[in-house]
Amino acid sequence: MAKKNRNVGVIGIGQTEYSSHKEHQNQAEMVNEAVRYALEDANITLDDIDCVVHGNMELFEMVHQPDMWHALGSGAYGKDQLRITTGGTTGASLVCAADNLVASGMYDVVMAIGLEKLQEGHTTGGITNMADPLWFRHLQTGALTATTATMMMEEFGEDRAKRAAMKYRILMDKHACLNPRAHRRFGLEYDQLEDLMNTSPKLVGELRLIHMCSQSDGACVMIFASEEKAKAMCKNPVWIRDHITVHREETFNNFGLEMPEMTHHYAGRKLFERNGITDPVEYFDVFEMYDPSAWWGLDWLREFLQLKDDEHLKLLEDGEFDLDGKLPVNPSGGVTASNPIGATAMLRPAEAAMQIRGDAGPQQIKKEVKHALASGFGGTLWSVLIMLEKDLDWQEV
Amino acid sequence: MAEYFGTAVEDIFNTMEERFIPEGTHGVDATIGYNISGEGGGNWKVTLKEGTLKVERLDAEVTGCAVTLNAEAETFVGVTLGKIDAGEAFSGGKIRVDGDITILVNVLPKAFRQFTPVIWARDILATVRERFRPEKAEGVNMKIGYDLSGEGGGQWTVVVKDQTCDLKEVLDDDCTVVMRMEAPVFVDLNQGKLDGATAFTSGKVKIDGDIGAAGQTASLFEKYVAEGAAEEKGEELISLKCVPSINQRYATGPAVGRWFDGLKEKKFYASKCPNCERTLVPPREICAECRVRCNEFVEVGPEGTVTLIDVVYYASPDPLTGKIRETPYTALFMVLDGASRDESFAHDLNPKDIDRIKPGMKVRPVWAEKRTGSYKDLLYFEIAD
Repeated sequence: MAKKNRNVGVIGIGQTEYSSHKEHQNQAEMVNEAVRYALEDANITLDDIDCVVHGNMELFEMVHQPDMWHALGSGAYGKDQLRITTGGTTGASLVCAADNLVASGMYDVVMAIGLEKLQEGHTTGGITNMADPLWFRHLQTGALTATTATMMMEEFGEDRAKRAAMKYRILMDKHACLNPRAHRRFGLEYDQLEDLMNTSPKLVGELRLIHMCSQSDGACVMIFASEEKAKAMCKNPVWIRDHITVHREETFNNFGLEMPEMTHHYAGRKLFERNGITDPVEYFDVFEMYDPSAWWGLDWLREFLQLKDDEHLKLLEDGEFDLDGKLPVNPSGGVTASNPIGATAMLRPAEAAMQIRGDAGPQQIKKEVKHALASGFGGTLWSVLIMLEKDLDWQEV
Repeated sequence: MAEYFGTAVEDIFNTMEERFIPEGTHGVDATIGYNISGEGGGNWKVTLKEGTLKVERLDAEVTGCAVTLNAEAETFVGVTLGKIDAGEAFSGGKIRVDGDITILVNVLPKAFRQFTPVIWARDILATVRERFRPEKAEGVNMKIGYDLSGEGGGQWTVVVKDQTCDLKEVLDDDCTVVMRMEAPVFVDLNQGKLDGATAFTSGKVKIDGDIGAAGQTASLFEKYVAEGAAEEKGEELISLKCVPSINQRYATGPAVGRWFDGLKEKKFYASKCPNCERTLVPPREICAECRVRCNEFVEVGPEGTVTLIDVVYYASPDPLTGKIRETPYTALFMVLDGASRDESFAHDLNPKDIDRIKPGMKVRPVWAEKRTGSYKDLLYFEIAD
């Protein structure tokens, strides 16, 4: 596995509620709200924080150097601060960076802050800027595409694929309805499946409005500490076991006559290999996945979990991704429910850590959660995977 | 059922449960009798005890309560809605109270939220003419259909034409857009209890026809305010909107420079990895997989084989012009002739071919007459046969 100088534990988590707009507070206030919750959760003060890692996407709010603006809310003044902005993966990159910073021995306690106020900018306008400005930008529609839907319908038949995608969507909404912080909680029922499948407005091909993620405002904060500090400061730290980040080229060139290995699959393969995990569905007790749409979410389960053929569809159809299933997926409700982009990929390990602690709230998985997996997504299908553990008892491979 | 000021006596008692504030009855233990005479009247007994509420309809005159209120139905409704002054009705003998009047004065306001009359879709639609904003409707010519199901439902068409607005109680066949929903959903939307985007996304509202027109309707009318409803005063929220425009310069580097140079001559150039031999379209300096420099350029295309088709219905702005694109339009993924099988290239499809295009088809580029070495040189692809 990746060499870690010392173990790192999550000792505090703070989140705002996620909503379509937060006009009652500015960005710094929103950051501050989550910072306060996290400090309270860790039962420490700002004095205990050695370094702050900050991240969002400045193209969305068009505020340059947001880490500077947000110092009022983050409490970073007088502390070391780094800024990380890696698009959709930002939140996950923040967690990886904080883990690395503590593991290295450079800092004992690091606070990571992810946020976005999408209401204050133009999301699709921001996303299109990732394309080559001279060539591909005029063809861009942000993150909207039906390529996965088309391929899944080709592989599994139109009806089964459409039903599965909508079942996944309704399942996510059911989880979101339990999560008091989730932004969109529609109260969808399975008996609406066929109606939604056929009448929800089409965005692109079979990617329909109901399948797609929200645009949310909100902030998420996690506090990381070295093993020694974590054990001294916190009675139930959650351990970051390993993480992996996989990039591919910055073009959508992978829809040819043969498909290259997706970064999702590559990330899972490498990470599980180096941690000696042969059956991820069996090993993990929860998977918090960055699922920008129901189609992508469903397809990526196969990639991340190294499943074959229609195994992911069967698991879904058999209810194995439900809260009481074999591998509960996104108890938080996932990204189709809440999507404050710079924080979105941090919501995943944050929820995973709360599930391990057992204090996630109404969406808590009933059986004990010891091993958790969390993913981030961004750019042209880039992936981050993070493994979290309840106990420091894993075997080095 | 007799109604006064649009409200029946029953409505007031039937909504008590939802208007009840349990924490407002701390230390309270009281029974209140209501003997409402006249058409639509009746006898009710309301019991309030430490956070609990019981509302009973009795067949006979209510007696033995801590306080009993006797009034004509019209008076009772009028006072409840604030249409009739309570003090005057009491002084004038139109309301008679037996027992401890302080319960009515002190306990009731804390135990219940104000009664607001039931609003029907019909009431809201009846006000469209007066809420119409002609100044916002310049050049707007459309028919907005409402197909509302369930209790209080019906079909209506709002006609906006030449800066005038009319309402018809029928659903015209030639509506620009028809919005279908349950009538209570319509009422909640108009009262701001339900967010339009949420209702639409979750399937509570179905829109047939021009979705853009549906989005435009909100700006054509003043917000609906129920008769007699006081507008809630909040803190002033100042929102400033601006569109910053930033000029940009961007160096292509040699590989994409070669690409644009080729477009002038109607040629597609790819760079080729000396190690894995895959082609990169548009060309890039480095093969990201082998991490070696690609100095060789080969011509690919101009025709290609379609692999995937994205039909786009969502009207997004063209990032380079800010103009909303015409929908639907089609984006194609293809493998250009001579390019690596796993290297796809994406571009638009000629709109005329949208109904015929299928994966596996051959497509050819259509070029601008005058080419300057920009993305505008290539208009789109079309079916090759």
